Amino acid sequence: MVKNRYFRALCIVFILAGVAFAFQRGRNRPSFLQDDDAPEPYPTDATEKTEWQFARLRYNSYRQGSGYWGVRGSWSTDAPKAERHLAQGLKRLSRIHVRSVEEVVDLDGDKVFDYPWLYAVEVGHWDLNDAQAAKLREYLNRGGFLMVDDFHGTIEWEIFMRSMSRVFPDRPVIDIEDKDPIFHIVFDLDDKVQIPGIVMFYTGNTYEQDGVKEKWGGIRDDKGRIVVAICHNMDLGDAWEHADLPEYPERYTSMAYRIALNYLVYDMTH
Amino acid sequence: MFESLFLYPARLFSKGELLFASGWPVWLLIVACLAIVVGIGFVVFQRHGANLKGARWIVIAGLQALVLCLLLMMLWRPALRVTALKPQQNVVAVVVDDSRSMMLKHDGAAGNAASRVAVAKALLNDGLLDKLRNRFQVRIYRAGANLERVQNLDAVSGGQSTTHLGAAMKQMMEESASLPIGAVVLLSDGSDNAGGMDADALGEIRRRRIPIHTVGLGAERLVKDVEVVELDTPQRALSDSRIGAAVTFKQYGFQGQKAKLVLMADDKVITSREVTLGEDGVPQSETLLFNVGLAGARNLKASIIKLAGEENENNNSQTRLVNVESLKPRILYVEGEPKWDFKFLRRALDGDRNIQLTTMLRTTQNKVYRQGVESPKELEQGFPETEEELFKFSGLIIGGVEASWFTPKQQAMIKNFADRRGGGVLFLAGRGALSDGGYAASTIAEMLPVTLTDRKGTFHRDPATVELTQAGRDSLMVRIEEDANKNVERWKKMPYMANYQESGVAKPGATVLMEALPTSKGRFPLLVTQRYGRGRSAMLATSGTWRWQMSQDAKDMSHELFWQQLLRWLVSETPPQVSANPSRQVLLDEGQIEFRADVRDKAYNPMNAATVEARILGPAGSAAMLPLTPDSNQAGIFTAKWDAPKRGSYVVEVLAKNGKEEMGRDVFTFMREDGVAENFHAEQNKQLLEGLSRQTGGNYYTPETAKSLPDDIAYSEAGITTRESKDLWNMPALFIALLGVKAAEWMLRRRWGAV
Repeated sequence: MVKNRYFRALCIVFILAGVAFAFQRGRNRPSFLQDDDAPEPYPTDATEKTEWQFARLRYNSYRQGSGYWGVRGSWSTDAPKAERHLAQGLKRLSRIHVRSVEEVVDLDGDKVFDYPWLYAVEVGHWDLNDAQAAKLREYLNRGGFLMVDDFHGTIEWEIFMRSMSRVFPDRPVIDIEDKDPIFHIVFDLDDKVQIPGIVMFYTGNTYEQDGVKEKWGGIRDDKGRIVVAICHNMDLGDAWEHADLPEYPERYTSMAYRIALNYLVYDMTH
Repeated sequence: MFESLFLYPARLFSKGELLFASGWPVWLLIVACLAIVVGIGFVVFQRHGANLKGARWIVIAGLQALVLCLLLMMLWRPALRVTALKPQQNVVAVVVDDSRSMMLKHDGAAGNAASRVAVAKALLNDGLLDKLRNRFQVRIYRAGANLERVQNLDAVSGGQSTTHLGAAMKQMMEESASLPIGAVVLLSDGSDNAGGMDADALGEIRRRRIPIHTVGLGAERLVKDVEVVELDTPQRALSDSRIGAAVTFKQYGFQGQKAKLVLMADDKVITSREVTLGEDGVPQSETLLFNVGLAGARNLKASIIKLAGEENENNNSQTRLVNVESLKPRILYVEGEPKWDFKFLRRALDGDRNIQLTTMLRTTQNKVYRQGVESPKELEQGFPETEEELFKFSGLIIGGVEASWFTPKQQAMIKNFADRRGGGVLFLAGRGALSDGGYAASTIAEMLPVTLTDRKGTFHRDPATVELTQAGRDSLMVRIEEDANKNVERWKKMPYMANYQESGVAKPGATVLMEALPTSKGRFPLLVTQRYGRGRSAMLATSGTWRWQMSQDAKDMSHELFWQQLLRWLVSETPPQVSANPSRQVLLDEGQIEFRADVRDKAYNPMNAATVEARILGPAGSAAMLPLTPDSNQAGIFTAKWDAPKRGSYVVEVLAKNGKEEMGRDVFTFMREDGVAENFHAEQNKQLLEGLSRQTGGNYYTPETAKSLPDDIAYSEAGITTRESKDLWNMPALFIALLGVKAAEWMLRRRWGAV
């Protein structure tokens, strides 16, 4: 009985501390970010039929419903502003016929096969079941391409790999060399840097958790083609999302656009 | 019967000329007949005109007048004038087919199990030869590869491996220049390895007016037999290619039965299929698809396994040589914008070790991404500016890039690429392709296999399914299932394409293989091909085939197969600078062959200033060198005739030099088969024999009807002849006619009461 009382008190203390932390964090949120969450106007050319469309993968979150991002699920982080900004950039920078709006696909149906380029964010939180892992493997084997982004540190890497190793049990994750065509196909990206999320405005660091060093990883198929591009300890999504934010450094946005375009053109040529 | 009524055989009437032998003028006969008709008519009308109803008196008068006219005509002495051979002054050539097919049964169905040559000899020995000798000098010949005179029939045994009836008859005409040959009697089954009588030989025979009388031996149709009539394969193929062997066969007596069709390469079975045999004597075809494997000469043999009770098992196989080349033709693919079909086309060719794909992709406004280049410098300045640079490729794919992106000079080069260089050009769909890319108004429009519409907005990102046309059903280019019917169904079940383009109508001479069926409206040509100059062009009016890959199991190879076959079609016939071919792929029982080389400079203009030589490797290590000489009628063409001495396979390497500089070389194969052709077309070729007789003024006989041959043969315009008149007034037919007409008149008069 006494133990229960202590336990309840301990829970109350933790809750109060959490509320205080959240309150404090809110207070630290830079004022220029307040207006950045305003909804994007829906593009007038959204119904145009195009060759390429940003396909965002919807997945089950490892912590869905209990975490800070649990309300919408971590798959939707930065949406839709990130992809719509990126679409505008791709239209301007390339000859790709790009649709202005995104498409959300999951691994429970066959719709994913209509989108040979797929983006998954916050994969340090994803949790694919066996059927979904098999579907993703089939998608990649048929010729699909997956870009994963915005996950940080050791724990989120392990969570990512917990599902990824079920997709390709026998294919290792490799570090993509600087000389690989994927970094030179449109832009020469010898000066790659770690792309930080907006967390840097809170912490002052370009990394999160213990993910100090960025990782340009990939998984190759039997022919040596990169079929999964892994942006670990980086947040390109934020760089696209906040491209119109004067306070977000242009060099990160510019690099994030260039990386996305290189990855996309690589996918459309390999 | 005819002869008993008309005194002479019908053939004599067809050859002779009718005349009146009395010497009295014919006009007098006509006047007399008219007078008889008028006189009789007047008398009969006076006597019976009032008694007989209607025109009955005219019938009576007509019959009476006819009798008198016939009698009058007989007084004028009708006769038949014919040209006849003078007895014992003319030679009759008896030619007996001495080829191996004459050893086959004469007519198994009719119970005559004797060989054809035995039947021929028996027919001659049992009186025919004696009857001929009674009237003519007879010379006996045997015909095989050549014509040879023999002293008696013992020398005819049916042992020769080949028959060239045309050559034999031509030789006979040459002999007749010094001999009074009045007629030729040919005893044969009509089986001819050279394909019958050529126009020259036939013309010569006609000119000499020597009738050839033929006696047909052998059954017109076999009772129980299966024959592989033809094996059609490409003469050349790229290594590791999937090609088709079209096997044509026919059967007698096994309709509805199952048989096993087997294809062997170098004595190893590579594929087989069970077939159901069709109607008697009707050729049927099956196409077997197979991979030709590594480079080298491949000996292909298509066979139908012998069925129980077959009469002739030696005609169940056909053999062909295929020269599998180790070339790695290059294809240049120019694409105007990144698109999924670009990626998946490249992936489809990843599995093709022989085709090298070089791509130029416009990724941004001012950047072109190159893949598959041989050096960093290649295509660095963009699309080739010189023919020499472009003509290094064997195929060209033009994707969604506007016509205006090419300079006028480059547009002319693209046309010349197909027209003069002999390459293949494939046009794909896209926002900047075909009509939407301004091609309708460009000079390139001429080489497209469709007439483009002159409006824009023809490219639609809407789903469309595919359907094969009749030509597509027959084409191996779009065969993703071995069986033709399954292939049609397979295409119907293919996932829809992501887009399609309205292209226009196919040009005359172009072939539409596939049509696109959009879910919204109509149908449009999807895959169209045509010959263009020395090369070929094609249009695939979609850039949405990637869904065939992404919407089907990863192990499904239909998308890869489609693209590999289409692109191999694009380049497989693209000639090198020096290309050479034999006049025939298979020589049957003879060695004469002609080599032909087409020599071009680097811009693929015909070149006469070259030294061209053929190195021939024959059976058992035999070798020969042969110079080829320029053809005075065709620039850049060099030819040489050669005689292949032995049966077996030959490999020929043709080398062209300009001074000391080597311009190029080409390799081809051919084979000589001896004693094989006689096993085919074993039934009597009655059509050939009848035609030969008809066209030379002779007659066709069977062994049963040949008894009348000595009488018929006597009338000929060849040799030493005399003109004979044969009276016809005493023909029994005339007297029977007189009696019949008079009897009819008498009966009618009794019936009508005019007696």
